[in-house]
This record gives sequence, C-alpha cells and structure tokens, in this order.
Amino acid sequence: MEPADELLNDEVALELSEDPMRLNMGPSHPAMHGTIRMVVDLDGETLVNLDVQPGYLHRGFEKSCERGTWAQVFPYVDRLNYVSPMLNNVGWALAVEKLLEIEVPERCQYYRVILGELSRISDHFTCNGASAMELGAFTPFLWLLKVRDWVWDILERETGARMTHSFGRIGGMAAPPTVNFKDDVLRLIPELHKVVKETEIMLLRNRIFLDRMQGVGVLTKEQALSYGVTGPVARSTGIPYDVRKDHPYLVYDRFDFDVPVGEDGDNWDRFMVRLEEIRQAIRIIEQAIEQMPDDGPINVDDPRIVYPEKDDVYTTIEATIAHFKLVMEGLRTPKGEVYSFTEGANGELGFHIVSDGSGTPYRVRVRPPCWYNLAAAREMLLGGMIADIIPTFGSVNMIGGECDR
Amino acid sequence: MPTFILDGKEIAFEAGETVMEAAWREGIEIPHYCWHPGLSVAANCRMCLVHVESGRQMAMPQLAFDEATGEYVPATKPKLQPACQLGAAEDMVVSSTNEQVQTAQASVQEFLLLNHPVDCPICDQAGECKLQDYYYEHQGTLKRKLTEPVHKPKGVRFGPTIVYDAERCIMCTRCIRVCDEVAKDHVLDMRERGNRSEIILAPGRELDHRYTLMTEHVCPVGALTSQDFRFKARVWFLKSAPSICTGCATGCNSHADYDPRNGKIYRLRPRDNADVNKFWMCDDGMMTYMRHDTDRLLMSTAGRGEDRMPVGEDEALGLAAEQLKNVEGATLAVVLSAQHSTEDNLALAKLAGALDADRLYLAALGGWEGDEILRSDDNNPNRAGATQAAGGAALKSVADLVADVQSGAVQGVLALGWATAEKLEELTPVADLEHVVSLASHVGALPAVAAVAIPVADTFEIDGSFVNAKGMTQAFRPVLPAPGGVEPAWKTISDLAGKLGKDLGFTDLQGLRQGLVDEAEAAQ
Repeated sequence: MEPADELLNDEVALELSEDPMRLNMGPSHPAMHGTIRMVVDLDGETLVNLDVQPGYLHRGFEKSCERGTWAQVFPYVDRLNYVSPMLNNVGWALAVEKLLEIEVPERCQYYRVILGELSRISDHFTCNGASAMELGAFTPFLWLLKVRDWVWDILERETGARMTHSFGRIGGMAAPPTVNFKDDVLRLIPELHKVVKETEIMLLRNRIFLDRMQGVGVLTKEQALSYGVTGPVARSTGIPYDVRKDHPYLVYDRFDFDVPVGEDGDNWDRFMVRLEEIRQAIRIIEQAIEQMPDDGPINVDDPRIVYPEKDDVYTTIEATIAHFKLVMEGLRTPKGEVYSFTEGANGELGFHIVSDGSGTPYRVRVRPPCWYNLAAAREMLLGGMIADIIPTFGSVNMIGGECDR
Repeated sequence: MPTFILDGKEIAFEAGETVMEAAWREGIEIPHYCWHPGLSVAANCRMCLVHVESGRQMAMPQLAFDEATGEYVPATKPKLQPACQLGAAEDMVVSSTNEQVQTAQASVQEFLLLNHPVDCPICDQAGECKLQDYYYEHQGTLKRKLTEPVHKPKGVRFGPTIVYDAERCIMCTRCIRVCDEVAKDHVLDMRERGNRSEIILAPGRELDHRYTLMTEHVCPVGALTSQDFRFKARVWFLKSAPSICTGCATGCNSHADYDPRNGKIYRLRPRDNADVNKFWMCDDGMMTYMRHDTDRLLMSTAGRGEDRMPVGEDEALGLAAEQLKNVEGATLAVVLSAQHSTEDNLALAKLAGALDADRLYLAALGGWEGDEILRSDDNNPNRAGATQAAGGAALKSVADLVADVQSGAVQGVLALGWATAEKLEELTPVADLEHVVSLASHVGALPAVAAVAIPVADTFEIDGSFVNAKGMTQAFRPVLPAPGGVEPAWKTISDLAGKLGKDLGFTDLQGLRQGLVDEAEAAQ
C-alpha cells in the first residue's frame, strides 16, 4: 500500500469524540444580524448548550445622553432600533414631556401616531422579509423592501431623512405635516395591503417555509412572562399585551384596532403576528388620517420648550434669549424621575429618566424590548437544530442598536 | 431669633434685616437686579416684588379681562412690596412665588426687555446675564411690542477700563452705588427719565478711580463691559477656580476664570469673603491674572550676558549646586520672596539652615499706594508669611544685600522669586559676583543677574498659602498645571538640596506644612 492510503485507513479507524463540539457563531456571522455571538455546543446537529453573548454594538448610549441637552438625545434614540426610528423619537419625546407635564397639540398627536405606525410597518416588513430571505425565499424580501422604500419615501418627504430622522422634538415635531401628507399616505395604503397579500400567497403554503417555521423555536407563555418578553414575540405566545391597548398614550384610545395573538409561540406565530400587525397598523393610520385636523399648531406654545421661529430669533430679544437658553443650556426640566413607555416595533420601549433640574439628563435608562426578547432566545433555541438558529433568531428580530445601546 | 415664613419655609432674621437679606443668608434667591448685598437699597428694578400674605391686605384697583364676555371689568389686585426694602417682621408670611407675584415678575421682565437690543450673540455678558436667566425662569413669552425699540448710545468709553452700552442698561444704578459707596467717588450718575434714561459720567471726569472694574462686576446685564475682557472669551467655555489675589497684602479672595482648552486665565472675579474683601477687588488686583502668562521664565539658563545658554532641568540643578558648594555658608546670602507662598519660603529657609547660611534677605515689590478701602500699603501678598518662615525676625532688604555685596561680606547669592523693587542697574554688584543662583517664575532683575536661573511655578499653579497684612493665613489651590518641566519652588529647592547632599526633613508638601505647624507651635 502507498503511505498515503495507510494514513487514510488510520483516520477512518479514529474514534469520534463523544464530547459536544463547541462552535462559535458570530459576531460577524451574516445571520447574527451583525453583532451577536453565540457559543453553541453541538451533539451532532442538535444544540445541547448555548450561550448568547450581546455587547458587540455597545456605544455607551445611556452615558452619552448625560453629556448633552434633553433635545440632543434624539439623534441617539434614532440609533436604538434603527429600523423604526420614528417610534423611538416619539417614545423619547413623550418621556421628557411626561417629566415636563405637558401635552402636545392634538394635531401633533395624530401626526406622531401616523408616522409611528408607518415606522412599525417598515420594521415588520424588514423582519418578515429577512426571515423569508434567510430561508432562501428571496422574492418576498425584495417585494417587501420595495414597498418599504415607498414608506420611507413618505418619511423622507416629511422628515428629510429615510432612516435616522431625528424628527421628534420635545413639545412637538420638527416641522408640521407637508401639504400632501394625507394624500401620500392614503395612496400608499393599497400598495401595503397588496404586498402583504402577495407575501401570504408566496409563503403561507410553501412546504419548505412551513417546515422551517412551524413548531420551531417555541417559547411558552410562562417563559415569555418570566423573561419580561413583550411585543410580537410575547403576543405570539398568547399574551395579549400591547401598550397601545393596555396603557394608551397619544390618541391610541380613539382607534378601533385589534391585538393579534398567537397560540404556540413558534416562528410561524411570530411571523403571522407581525403580518397581522401590519394590517392593524394600516387600520390605525386610516382612522388617524380621518380624525387628524388639517390646521392647528404642531408644537406647544412655550418658547422655553420649543425653539422660537428663526425670524423672531433674529429680530427680537425675547426669542434670542429663548434660543440661546435652549441651545446653550438646554430646556430646563423639573427635578424628578419618570418612567415612560410606548409600544415599539419589538415591544415595550421604556425610558426611565432622572432629572436633577438642569438642562441635561442626570440619568437615562432605556428599556429596550430586544434586550428581553434576546434573553429568551436561548429558551427558544435550546434542544433544536443548529440550522434553526437562523429563522428563530431572525423572528426574534434582535436589533443591535437598541439591544446593546 | 425671630422668624418669618417665606414660601412656606421658616426663615430666621435679625432685627433690622430685610426679607431679601434674610433669604439671601439662607441661600434663597428672590429674583432681583438692583439689590446687591454689599450696596445700599435702591428698590428701583421692581423684580423682587413679593406678596405679604399676612396682615391687612392692601387692594389696588385694576381692570381685568373677562374671557366670558370679552370685556374689561373692574377688579382688584394685592399691593406687592419689594423684598429688598421690606423689613422682616416676626411671623410675617411672604410669598415670592404666588400667582400675583409671578405675574408681576413676568411683567417687570417684559418691560425690561421692551427696548433691549438683540445683542446676546455679541454681548460678553451672554451666558451669565440676569436678563437671560430671569427671562427663562419668569417670563417665557415672545415679544408683543411691534414698534421700533428706543435707541441709545452704544460703546461709550467711560474710562480706560470700562465701556458702556446704554441700550443694554436696565438702570439698576448698581454701578452708581458702587462708585459712591465702595470707591467713595461720585463719578457716575443717571440722567433723563423712563426709557430715555442713561448712565453718565460727571462732567469733565472719566471713570478712572481704583475700583472701576467693580462697576462691571456688579452690572447684572451687559451694559458695562471691561475693556480688558471684551470680546476675548465666551463665558460658557470658561471654568472657574478659587484663588487669592497676589496684588497686595490684603489677599482678596478671587475666582480665576480660565479656558481649559488653552490653559489661559482670562479674568479674575472677586470671591465673597466677609473677613477680607467682602464682595470687592481693586482694578490692579483684578489685572494680576495677566502676570500668569506674561514674561514667564520657562527654561533654565546658565551663564551671563552673551554666554547665557539654556540648559536642561537636571543639569541646571547640578550647576546651581556647584555654585552653592563654592560659597561658604557665612558669606552666602539667601533671599526669600514676599511674592512666594509661605511653603516656598519655608523650604528655602530650611535650605539656608542646612547650608549654615544665616544671612537672610527678603525681596519685595515697591512703588504702590494703599488706600482705606481694600488696598494695603504693601503690594506683596506674603511678606508676613515669608518673615514667619524665616523665624519671625525682620529680614534685611535687597538694598541691604547690595550694600553687603559691596562691602565684601556676601560672596554668593541664592534668590527666590523675580519680584524686587530694585532695578537691574541697582543690582550690578550682585551681577559681578561669581556665584548667584535664582529660582524664579518670571523674568526680572533677580534672575537677570543670576549665573544660574531655574524656572519655578507661579501662584496660579501651586498649592500654597499666604499670610496677609492682618495675619490671616489663606490657602490656595492650583488653577492650572505648571508648564512642562517646571515644578513648584519648594520642590525645586528640595531637589537642589538633594544635589547638595542635604536633607531638609520633608519630601512632600504635607511634610513641609507640618514643619510650618511645628514652628508655629514652637513660637507660641
């Protein structure tokens, strides 16, 4: 025999180790959505142990907030869940407004609802589209993202930016709605319905998709509750918790909409809950557009909170001083602390802020929904196959920006 | 002590005190422009109006707008009183925050801004302006007046130090009162009435007494600005550190405002101290900050005249030690400095002791006039401390040193500090000596005549203490770090002792100060 063949035969004779194989996934693995590392112990292809390690996108967001003024936090919150930044903008604005004990004018509340729900739709499009794509179905991803771009066209026309808008303001919004705002949104709604329907046609009777989604990555109701999971992930297990319904803010109590819930808490339920939430968001938008006044102020009428008009700043001392104070020292909040929470695209987005009475936050603590959802991901994955990490982790919709802050 | 109630809080007062004074002592600020704790009461700004809720109420008739009918109807409002002029009385109940008071504060503020120019972006006061602060705290409305504001003179030169802007002025008269009551010079007054009034100089006069910068200091707005500080820095970039003025033996407490980005001190402000300077400082004292970065000695030198060369820190210490080794203790003159901290002088006195040199002299500045207000006759901050460090006996002067050099009794000199009243020519005999070592923070006659000159840190850069003319010891902390390679004088002296193989009995400031305490105890 040739020497090489001998070697080959020896290797065949080697015993396979009985210990689990340890494997690192991420943080730069394409299915780890950028910034998560999973240390998995494999018995064959089954996950026997799993360590989910966040922290690779930590930018010190909360600490950074303590350096600028209250208003300067908006660009940071844009970069929490960067797929639906408007919801974060509104969440932050509401938190500081709660501290200030002010309420924005009605028109602004509707405006915030509509922009926020558009953001939620774009977030769910992204998550569901990416879930399908990661299982090999590229078409739904492209179709959903095509329509998401149309949603972003509207957001761009309103705010000037497609993603990181920084459009929220304490006591209002940066600008009033554009003249065509309502028409633009109404014209888009049929397209939204159409693409949701198309997604359903393409995926819901696809055997491969069904096999990868149904019964995979199951999270029980009890587990969801014990981990503090909220949002679509919690609702997929049958917990009907939605901040918009249970603790209405803005004008959400004026709308007729349903909170879709799942039964099994698997990938399939999470996918379906998101699809249905898109439809419910459209319902909310339709009602909000009907109820939203066409005229009226967007911002509260107090130059100590909202920047005065530039014309006034250049010509009158009162506005100059107000502008100076707001820029140099920041708007002054009363001493105290508040917890304010809204329904972000992934669940309860909370801001716990502490003020020492100055123009700068003393402490900002974000309750990012992803953080708790990610913690529960281990329960969903353990005992499953390594290949199931991809759809399951995809349907948790971990967004690094908000998870690690 | 009797008490009264202000906004629900019990406040103690002494007989004769006003509501404003008693609240101020408690750390509560009732908004005000014209009142100043160090000046008489004018009660003309009306910002401190408060409502005395106890006792018989005085009602003032007014017309109130009835929103239901859209018409003005007769109504009454309470008579408010200025807190700065209102004597506190037992069990009086005062509100400085109720609705009527808030309305009054907002209205006063709106009136003050009625003709105010849009100057914040070019005004030195922006960032520390009462108009800005009170606008935000008490007004918060936009302009309602549509007509052109009243225009008045801008950029009026009041004297060599002060520029006046009548448009920014709110006529609180603090500057007039500070001239009258602190400087005792009635050089400012007010003319005209209402929105045409302005501050004017006495005919034929300039604002040129010794406390002119106090007018700018008390100005609550940007009407009076200092020629020196004008347009130099924006106050929100400045940081502040407590310091002691080195101008004279009074030792006025000051805030040194510096820009941390470039390590430059931009101005001094008086720091309140009832026992030393109350609320004030003199112009010359205010300008002592300029010494910090003017004519600094930054590099050690060896040699004289054309042979003077820069040398490294360690080499300079070696050369200085060489110089001192060649002089017998009995003929070595050690010159203490009345401009340096007690600690620096003590370290030098200890070195003199270790070298058996008992010829101690004191270098001090001269050519200064004191007054009855703040300025001491001695323009050295620490003559008492230096004397104390040397054992308490009166020290000979630099003039005596020159005489002793000429008589041949002194063969070598070790001098601390740059400051001496003598001019360079007068020190020629010292310049002719072979062995002269100078430790100085600035260039001056003493380092100029030295064979070896070593830079040391100045007052703004060290931990130390001064003993003022009243015998009060005042400690101060570094405002800025010393330039690279430059150490406090006590440290340099300790290093020099090391080169000479002498132990001075201390290694850090703590140990040095303990020596000071021990000596004080021994003296008692």
